Amino acid sequence: MKSVVTTVIAAADAAGRFPSTSDLESVQGSLQRAAARMEAAEKLSGNLDNVAKEAYDACIAKYPYLNNAGEANSSETFKTKCMRDVKHYLRLISYSLVVGGTGPLDEWGIAGQREVYRALNLPTGPYVAALSFARNRGCAPRDMSAQALTEYNALVDYVINSLS
Amino acid sequence: MDNRFANIFGLTEEQSIALLDTPPEQATDESERYIAASQLANYPSEASINALIRAVNVTYDSLDNRITRRKSVESLGKLKAKQSLEVIRPCLSDTDRYTVEAAVWTIGEIGTENTEILEEITQLLLKPDQAYRVIIHTLVKLNYVAAVDRVRPFMDHEDEPTASAAIATVCRFAQDFSQIDRVVSFLQSDSVNARRACLEDLINARYYAAIPAIARCPISLMFRLRAIRSLADSGIAAGEVSINEVLPVIEQILLDHPNDLDLVHEYDQPPVLEFLIRELYHTDFGRTYLATQTLIEQQSEAVPTALFETYEAEAHNDYGAHYHVMKLMGWLKHQPAYDLLLEALTNTSPQFMKSRAAAALSLGYLGDQRAIAPLQTSAQSNIWMLQYTSLMALEKLGDYSQHKLLLEADDWAVRAKANQVLPGVTTNSTGLMNS
Repeated sequence: MKSVVTTVIAAADAAGRFPSTSDLESVQGSLQRAAARMEAAEKLSGNLDNVAKEAYDACIAKYPYLNNAGEANSSETFKTKCMRDVKHYLRLISYSLVVGGTGPLDEWGIAGQREVYRALNLPTGPYVAALSFARNRGCAPRDMSAQALTEYNALVDYVINSLS
Repeated sequence: MDNRFANIFGLTEEQSIALLDTPPEQATDESERYIAASQLANYPSEASINALIRAVNVTYDSLDNRITRRKSVESLGKLKAKQSLEVIRPCLSDTDRYTVEAAVWTIGEIGTENTEILEEITQLLLKPDQAYRVIIHTLVKLNYVAAVDRVRPFMDHEDEPTASAAIATVCRFAQDFSQIDRVVSFLQSDSVNARRACLEDLINARYYAAIPAIARCPISLMFRLRAIRSLADSGIAAGEVSINEVLPVIEQILLDHPNDLDLVHEYDQPPVLEFLIRELYHTDFGRTYLATQTLIEQQSEAVPTALFETYEAEAHNDYGAHYHVMKLMGWLKHQPAYDLLLEALTNTSPQFMKSRAAAALSLGYLGDQRAIAPLQTSAQSNIWMLQYTSLMALEKLGDYSQHKLLLEADDWAVRAKANQVLPGVTTNSTGLMNS
């Protein structure tokens, strides 16, 4: 599992050297943000269903015709697709907050997914819309501290960027 | 092309163009332009293509514009818009690696024989941190054999899917199959991505000998079916594969019993029921198949009860677990699940399509004659795997009435299946290639 720490050590080991000053600075930077990340991970884990549901509800408010009866564009279709995928990515975001790097997202969420979505012609729009809402709905200090929200939003943006 | 989700946002062409043309700094919602760009792939018109080209030319620096621009490039690929080639070409040198990837893929979709462009794509193999797998796939698609020696070094790439793509490409271009077994071995990788990825490469290599191993790979049946059908298409055309070899493989995959898979996971201690039910929600089907196998082996009366409970609580809304619940009810021959299976058989929401096929087979396993009429209806749907599994289920129930109605079915596999059981009628591989 890649993290700032494992990346630094792997690079140092590959070159057969001790960690450099800049290596240590990047690890220290990551450790300094650890408390904020743990706070974000804890709040997210405790509130996963609500975050996913809020994202869905916000999408419905924005695209009310999703409530129209029908097949591909019925709200139920959107909801199930949206909920399952958003929850999956939020879970990986919480792992990444704990690790302090994008390893869990890269290895379990992003690698290969772009190809799968393209090969099977699956829509990426629902989770981009829902994750954008999830990002915009986050509010400090109501949901978490400003620092924790920064960490969380950075990872939400990372997912949006990588999977869109 | 699978278009089940084509209209998920219900936007018209005019609405989509208007949204996409909104300057990014004025967009009220950041994801709107992205959704519009993806939606326009469903409207093959000049107006739609021109709007997408305009969007590619908007270089406003923000995350939302970046993803919109990228999606516009991809939609032009889906529309195979030749006139956009010169607009997309500069994206090959973009600083955003995903935009480069989208441009490469789109050029592959549009198609080109322009060696300057093909060289430009090949040169990307020398740049760090690129989507090498997509680049290699595109070079194969465009049949650019001159790239083979620059692809070769990637055969030992640390990323398994990249190595897999490179090996398959060398097989295809140099007819050198010496390392193809490494690609086949990825079917048993710990990584679900590597397992899925190598299927695409076995298709590209046209390695028909891998068909039985693909059938036993622990990933979703949708991936396996796609691979087998692609290989069958090229293999039958080349005279290297016969329909009679492929049909039992397709049936094995559609049946999708975990005992017919080479599972890559195992439990370090006997799992409790609650854990096994939770595993049905996992996105790695390697793990869900191990759970279903264990649930079948347990033969516990508590299993169907737990399945009903999880269906009520979550699985009705989760297209992964939903499928496994339908399968398990059939394997357990749980008669009280009849109504649940009947409901799943007629559920037209696109994400539950494979559950419909699962429900059809499970109804066959239940052996309840009441299922004959609804299965006759589903046999006449326009979804090949639902038609096929309905025929399989009807055979279990002793009903062959639909076979003769599907002798001329549009889908080659359904047509072959319908022909197979009728005395005096033989399958004809030449005729099967018409679909």
